[in-house]
Amino acid sequence: MEALIAKVFSKYNYWIFILLMLIGFYAIIAKNNLIKKMIGLNIFQTAIFLFFISLGAVKGGTAPIVSQEMIQKGYVYVNPLPHVLILTAIVVSVATTAVALSLIIRLNKEYGTIEEDEILEHLRIEGSSKETSARQG
Amino acid sequence: MKEKGTSIIVATVSRVMIPFIQLFALYVIIHGSGGPGGGFQGGVIFGASFILYVIVYHWEGGRKRLPEGANTIFSSLGLYIYAGTGLLAILFSVGAAQYLNYGFIPFTSHFVENRALGMECVEIGIGITVMAVTASIFFDLADGGPEKEKGDKEGSH
Amino acid sequence: MRPSSVMAVIITALLAAVLIYVAEDIPGFGDPEAPAIKSVKLFSLPADGVELLLNQNSIPEPLSVRLHERGLPEPSRIEKIPGAEGQWNLFVPKEELNYPKEEKYYLVRKEGRDLVVSRYAFVVRWIEKGEEETGVPNMVTYGLADYRGYDTLGETSVIFTAGVSVILLLRRRGRL
Repeated sequence: MEALIAKVFSKYNYWIFILLMLIGFYAIIAKNNLIKKMIGLNIFQTAIFLFFISLGAVKGGTAPIVSQEMIQKGYVYVNPLPHVLILTAIVVSVATTAVALSLIIRLNKEYGTIEEDEILEHLRIEGSSKETSARQG
Repeated sequence: MKEKGTSIIVATVSRVMIPFIQLFALYVIIHGSGGPGGGFQGGVIFGASFILYVIVYHWEGGRKRLPEGANTIFSSLGLYIYAGTGLLAILFSVGAAQYLNYGFIPFTSHFVENRALGMECVEIGIGITVMAVTASIFFDLADGGPEKEKGDKEGSH
Repeated sequence: MRPSSVMAVIITALLAAVLIYVAEDIPGFGDPEAPAIKSVKLFSLPADGVELLLNQNSIPEPLSVRLHERGLPEPSRIEKIPGAEGQWNLFVPKEELNYPKEEKYYLVRKEGRDLVVSRYAFVVRWIEKGEEETGVPNMVTYGLADYRGYDTLGETSVIFTAGVSVILLLRRRGRL
């Protein structure tokens, strides 16, 4: 029993990552409002960044800046490779958010609403009215 | 000073702080090799100072300080600097042409110092592009999109 | 089709079960000897009389045969790690202009009655040699702009494309 509890508590970063990822995933698929879906996407991406950086942690390591006094005192450095890759991924997420927000503004101008099921209603009504006018004409 | 609901405290504090925010952004870009920082971080801080200006002085005031033509030129200038440094490295490394190997560009006479100076040049380019794109995205989103003309929906069917 | 709330909860619970099942295999948090931080294990040899040869700076026969049949480069120099019993560094020669002449490649350790041969991850070269090769103290900066400079060029063009697409979507007057 103690071994199981020790195993659960020693990997606390994975449980936090799983919880955040599931909150973001639920918000993407189950919410109606388009802005809430986008917030869920942002939470999802943040959880992925957290997981990737925590894979490169070293016990007792300091920040990855080379200095001679740290080496003489005997410090170890944290793995700098995940930091480099995540810096690129953060900028990609900002770009995605900007384009998605501008698409939401265009949808609002066109249909007058940002709820997803009302937009689908509009499309269904337009599709059926086009069919009847094509059949008659 | 009080028009359309701008409070006087926000206006006075921003007028004092905006130059210092921009100075701090330049500090973060250039000292990125000795401590935490770099091109992306400094560029975003610089763009944030433009957003603060728009909050205080409204959209027309912001557009007067950063016109559309200058914004477009800055956002592609940084990318030119980055790719241009790479092509310069090909020109100077005769024989084995190596793209983005800054050691061959003759800033000074040592291979190691050339690499450090090439990195600074590239970081300045990244900072300019990120600043211009952040400000441009904010100006476009705050405008509210294109206006709808009358009779648009009937004309398109 | 958008799933209803009940179906969304069921799908999320299934995903949670899959993730919790996978998370048990990942190594513990902060382990300095985990793979891809320091070294990756290649194979292990029985250590019969091989230790004496390693201490005298000559490469034993079975080691070079096993390396050759895997296609890995041959080592040229052996150095004992000071302060640790039974660990050796093997160096591989490199011929490139303006770069150091040899590179620390293999790590040989004695565990019980076997010799474990593993290869150093390339991050070790970043951490140890990066300051003398580039002249910049910050590891993340020279990793982004010098060793991975090509990725940063593509990434700057991504943010430029985002700016251009926002302009295209939001600055129309008139019909779409």
